[in-house]
Amino acid sequence: MKNRILIVEDDHAISDAVALNMQFVGYGYAVFDDGKKAADSLADDHAFDLALLDIMLPGIDGFELFSYMEKYNIPVIYMTAKTDSASEIKGLMDGAEDYIVKPFDVLTLMVRIEKVLKRTGRLNTVYRVRDIEVNSETRVVTKAGEEVELQPLEFDVLLTLLKNKNLTVSREQLLSDVWGYEYAGETRAVDMKISNLRKKLNLGDAIRAIPKLGYRLEER
Amino acid sequence: MKLWQKTSLICIAVLLVIVTACSAVLLIHSKNSILELTYSRARDRQKSLASSFSEMAGYYIAENDSWTVENSLVNYCFSRFADSSSVLMRGDETLYSGVSVNPRAFLPLPENEYSMKIAEREIDGRNVLIAGSLVAVRNTSYAVYVVEDISTTYNSIVSLAWTFAAVSLAGILLGAGCIALIMHRSTRPLTSLAKTARQIAGGDYSMRADVHTGDEIGALAGDFNLMAEAVETRIAELMETAERQRLFIGGVTHEFKTPLTALLLHSRMLRRANMTDEEKDASLEHIEGQCEWLERLVQTLLKLITLEREIERRPCEVDALFDTVRQNTQKSLADRGVTLITHSGGGTLNCNADLIQSLLINLVDNAAKAYDTDAPDKRVLLTFSGDTIEVRDFGRGIPKESMERIFEPFYMVDKSRSKKAGGSGLGLALVKRIADAHDAELTVKSGVGKGTTVRVRFQ
Repeated sequence: MKNRILIVEDDHAISDAVALNMQFVGYGYAVFDDGKKAADSLADDHAFDLALLDIMLPGIDGFELFSYMEKYNIPVIYMTAKTDSASEIKGLMDGAEDYIVKPFDVLTLMVRIEKVLKRTGRLNTVYRVRDIEVNSETRVVTKAGEEVELQPLEFDVLLTLLKNKNLTVSREQLLSDVWGYEYAGETRAVDMKISNLRKKLNLGDAIRAIPKLGYRLEER
Repeated sequence: MKLWQKTSLICIAVLLVIVTACSAVLLIHSKNSILELTYSRARDRQKSLASSFSEMAGYYIAENDSWTVENSLVNYCFSRFADSSSVLMRGDETLYSGVSVNPRAFLPLPENEYSMKIAEREIDGRNVLIAGSLVAVRNTSYAVYVVEDISTTYNSIVSLAWTFAAVSLAGILLGAGCIALIMHRSTRPLTSLAKTARQIAGGDYSMRADVHTGDEIGALAGDFNLMAEAVETRIAELMETAERQRLFIGGVTHEFKTPLTALLLHSRMLRRANMTDEEKDASLEHIEGQCEWLERLVQTLLKLITLEREIERRPCEVDALFDTVRQNTQKSLADRGVTLITHSGGGTLNCNADLIQSLLINLVDNAAKAYDTDAPDKRVLLTFSGDTIEVRDFGRGIPKESMERIFEPFYMVDKSRSKKAGGSGLGLALVKRIADAHDAELTVKSGVGKGTTVRVRFQ
C-alpha cells in the first residue's frame, strides 16, 4: 500500500513541485488549491495518511481545515510563510504534527513527512523498485520473490536510495545517513556498496551515477 | 531639601528675627518707662518732702531758739512728712532715718548747691534709688533724702522679659507650624505635577495633571497638559506609522516567500530529480512565471518607496496620458477581450505624468480583470472631465465587506483569482498613495454584479 498525501496549497508553482516530488518517491497524492473544495472532497475520499496544508488559503484557511482533518484522523503538517511564532504555536497547539516554513527544501519536507508517518504508525514499510521488495522493518529484501542476502551497509544504502527514489542523493548524504559523520570524505566506500548492489540486484541501469551530484535510483 | 521645607525654613527664620527684635524693642521701652516712672515718683516725693519740711521748719524755728529746741523742732517738722523711706541729715549727723543705710555715703551732696540729685546704687545686693537735696533752714543746711528699694521693680521687669520671651516663642512656634502647613499645601500641586511628569516619562502618555488651583501653578499644569496632549498625539502618530510600516514589511516578506519557495523547489528538482522533458518544461515555466511576478512586485515596491519623497508636478496633456495608458494596457486587455474606451475632450492636468500613468494603468488593469472570461460586452471607460478622471467597468464588482480593505497593501478580494491574474495585492495601495501624493480625492463606488467606478478628483 502506497502512502497517500493530501496537498492543499493555492500557489500552483508550489503545489506542482510538491506533487511531483511525491510522485518521484512513490507516494500517492491529491492536490487542492482551495480550502473549501478540499474540505468538501473529504466526505467522498478521506483515505489519506497525511495532509500538507498551507495556512493562507482561499475558501477556508488552513487552521479551520484542521478540524476536518481531525474528523478523519489525518495527521497534519502546515506549510506556512508566516514566520511569526504565534501562528506556529497555534498550529501545533491545535494538534498539528509539524510545520515547515517557506521557503523550504523538498528533502527536508520528505524527512518530516516520513517522520510523521512513522510516528503515527502509518509509514508503509515496504518499498518497491521493479521486481524488488524491501521491507525496512524486517530488513528482508526479495527479488522476484526470492530472498537476497545483503550486508547491513548495503541494505541501508539501498533503503536511502529507495526513500529518495528518482531524486539524486549525494555521496556525502549517503555517508552521513548510513555510515555516520565520522566517515565524511571516504566516498569510495559508497561507490563500492553501490557497485555491490548493482551486481546483487541487477540494478545496473536503475542506479545512475549523476556527475558531480551523486546517485539516483530511477523508476518512472 | 524640598521647596516647601526650604521656603518654610526661610520664612520661619525671618519670623524669628522680627519677633525677637520687636520683643526686644518693646521690652527695652517698657523697662525704660517703668524706671522713668519710678524715678519721677521718687523725685516728686523728695521734692515735696524737702519743700514741706523747709516751709514748716522755717515757720516754726525762730532765730534765737536754743540748739535743743531747734533740734526738736526740726525733728518734729520732718517727722510730720516723713515715711519709712525718708532720711534727714545735718552734716554727718543723721537726724531722722526710716532706713538702715546712710545715704550720704552713697550720694554726697556738695555744700551750697541746693538742686536735687538722684542716683541708683547697689547696696547689699539690692537696687536702691536715692534722691536728695540740701535745704537751708535759718542758715543751717539740712540734707533731705528719699531712699527707695527698687529691686522689686527690677524683678517685675525681669518677669516681664520672661513673659515676652514665652509669648514670642509660642507665637514663633505657632507661626512656624502655620507657615510649614501653608507651604506644604501650596506646593502639593507641584508634587502632583511632578508625579504626572514622571508617569508620562515612564511611557504612560495618557496621564494628565489633575491640578485646578487657578494660580500660576494651575496655569503651569494647564500648559503641561497641553504639552502632554501634543506628545501623546505625536507618539500615537509615530506608533501608527511604525505599525503600518511593520505590517507592510511583514506583507512584503510574506509575498516574497511564496515565489521564492516555488523557485527553490523547482530549481532543486530540475537539478536533482529524474524528470521527463514535459515535466522539465512545466517546471521552467513555473520558474519564469514566478520571476516575472517577483519583477513586477519589485517594480511596484520601488514606486511605493519613491512616493515617500516629495513628487514633482508639471502640466500634462490628458490626451497624451490616456494614449500611454492605452499602449501599456493594450496587450493584457486584448488577451482578455476587453475594449478600452477613452474620452478626455482635451485639457491639461498638473501632475507627475509617470505616477498618474501608473495609477491609471493599475485602475484600467483592475477594471479589465473585473470581467469573467465568458462575460459579454467587456468595456472599460476611461474619461476626464473638469478635474476628475474616472475609470469604470461593468464587471463583477466588489463585495461590501471588502470595500474598507481594498487599499490595504497585499489585500486581495479573491486571492487565488488575482494571483492567477498576476496580481500582487499592491495595485490599489499604490493607486491610493499616488492619489494622496497629488492631494487628489479617491472614491470607489461598486455593486456586486454591476461593476465598479473609481474617481480621482484633483484639486
